[in-house]
Amino acid sequence: MLSIKNLHASVEGKEILKGINLEINPGEVHAIMGPNGSGKSTLSQVLAGNEAYEVTSGEVLFNGENLLDKETEERAREGIFLAFQYPVEIPGVSNLQFLRTAVNAKRKHLGEPEMNAAEFMKLAREVSKQVDLNPDFLKRGVNEGFSGGEKKRNEIMQALLLQPKLAILDETDSGLDIDALKVASDGVNALRSADRAILMVTHYQRLLNHIVPDHVHVLAGGRIIKSGGRELALELEEKGYGWLGIKDEDDAPVAG
Amino acid sequence: MKPASTLSSAFLTPGGQSLPQPLLDLRAQRGTALADMPLPTRKTENWKYSSRHLKLSEELASALPTSGKCGPALAVPGYHVVFHNGVIVPEACELPDQSGITIQPFAELDDSLAAELAERLDNTLDAEAAQLARLNSARFEDGLYIRLAPDAVLDQPLFIISQTDASCSGSAYPRLYVDAGRHSQLTLVEEYISSGDQPALVNAVSEFTLAEGAQVTSVRLSAEGENVQHVGATGVRQQAHSRFDSHCVGFGGPMRRHDLQVRLEQSGANCRLNGVVVTQGQQHYDNHTVIEHVAPHCDSEETYRNIAAGQSHAVFNGRIHIHQDAQKSNANMSNKNLLLSTGAEIDTKPELEIYADDVKCAHGATIGQLDKQSIFYLVSRGVSRHEANTLLTMAFINELVQQIPVESVRETTQIRLNQFFETTFEEA
Repeated sequence: MLSIKNLHASVEGKEILKGINLEINPGEVHAIMGPNGSGKSTLSQVLAGNEAYEVTSGEVLFNGENLLDKETEERAREGIFLAFQYPVEIPGVSNLQFLRTAVNAKRKHLGEPEMNAAEFMKLAREVSKQVDLNPDFLKRGVNEGFSGGEKKRNEIMQALLLQPKLAILDETDSGLDIDALKVASDGVNALRSADRAILMVTHYQRLLNHIVPDHVHVLAGGRIIKSGGRELALELEEKGYGWLGIKDEDDAPVAG
Repeated sequence: MKPASTLSSAFLTPGGQSLPQPLLDLRAQRGTALADMPLPTRKTENWKYSSRHLKLSEELASALPTSGKCGPALAVPGYHVVFHNGVIVPEACELPDQSGITIQPFAELDDSLAAELAERLDNTLDAEAAQLARLNSARFEDGLYIRLAPDAVLDQPLFIISQTDASCSGSAYPRLYVDAGRHSQLTLVEEYISSGDQPALVNAVSEFTLAEGAQVTSVRLSAEGENVQHVGATGVRQQAHSRFDSHCVGFGGPMRRHDLQVRLEQSGANCRLNGVVVTQGQQHYDNHTVIEHVAPHCDSEETYRNIAAGQSHAVFNGRIHIHQDAQKSNANMSNKNLLLSTGAEIDTKPELEIYADDVKCAHGATIGQLDKQSIFYLVSRGVSRHEANTLLTMAFINELVQQIPVESVRETTQIRLNQFFETTFEEA
């Protein structure tokens, strides 16, 4: 489904990704772990199409097509979804208006009929309950005044509405207490299916207790330096990034 | 030094003589006084950014013809008065039949009422700050005099449709005077529209006096064509515990100017002034507001938003003057501005002049662009760039649009805004 080959990317002239190689197949859940500054978020932003990041070389194929040639909105309509580490607050644009515009943009792209306001409201209310968000949130500005946990659940809610082929979760666990982490994880687990892939980017291991990955990769200095199965995450938790000869800028324990 | 230029005699020669004598006399007197008035230049402080857009060429001096056909019948619900090139078209109007509410064209006033009105005209406007309002007083050919008796409440909004037919070039001078008696209530909508494509000038003046406890809501929509220069002024004087709510929506043109002056003259008077301006292409829009806190215990709340695209230019100058006796004044002014292109320009100047020592007075002005992170967030969900820009730009002014208390004006505004978005954010 997703094939990343020797991907190099920089931001403001500074190279952050220095040759990433990664293959993701439908149905798989991958976790990318790494210390702060290793390039985790850059990889997510590049895949979603943030123009602030410049791809300097390499190739990314998504379902056989060149992903990097496509506009951000086109990538989204074809099934790429990025759950932001820091979701943006947009006062004045209601969640409902935003979500319906997004869902209909995708439906239109796929040649499906657009949903009217009443149909969409019904769907959105159901999905908001699934991530334990009060449906009143729909009327408020996008992420406006939301707590950190509410913002993250709103991201998962959007993924459930948009039903992406590849969901990229950027530090979805950060800022969540245990209960909110459980709700968010349940939402992500509800997304798991044979034709969908999930790429989780995380500093800590704790999310992986709730969403069990098939593959774990360690990213450091802009390269994947080690790949393995679930046991790799557990090993990291036990030994810390130092075990792999990586300096974690945070010096924080890997277990969260 | 080159002598400052003045209005040509053609500009000081009024048309139509079918007004009561006291108003004809006033007009002549104002014309004489104007003969020596220097025209604003870029050195005139309150015309610094606009003087070069004001083009008072000779072809504009003559009054636009007021006979001839009226534009297409307007589908305005409820009460309305239609001005055609500055003169009221009685057969196109629908007036309320309510006791205590008198709405009359100037041309139909008897001499004693006309004499009373002549005494009051221009009393709400500072002649120095709104020089060109005096041109209207020298040129108006008709006007609307609205009087509300004490406790009279108009049961629905009154629309004043001021249409300019610019099939040939010339100028029009619509005039309005509202006298709201004690505890009376009125919602008034002024809509300025145009047809035809010849150069034209609209010089509109509206005045409001609010007696104790009166409540007036004024909605002003300025949306004439690209060939029309508009220089308008609104003057307001408020007595105790009266309330004036103003909602101004302006779409740019070759020259657009609105002066809004409010005097809070007795304690407990309060006003809210909202304004939204959008400009694109080579357009220009200049809002100059003045709030005079003359008496103690008055509140003013002012919120203006400008959006400029293309090579356009928007100006906001907001002055709050708190007089020495105006203790316990509460004044808030916010002006936020959005630039949608690198070629657009917005100039904003809050002016606070405070002579009382026990007041709350706050102001804030910002100029910014659409937030790139917000755009990325929206498009990363599949929303098109056009739509993302539209959503974010609308979000900038939506609160003010929603506060307009007349649904049909909100709709008209939204339609015009959609056209603005359509032409400003072309699909890549």
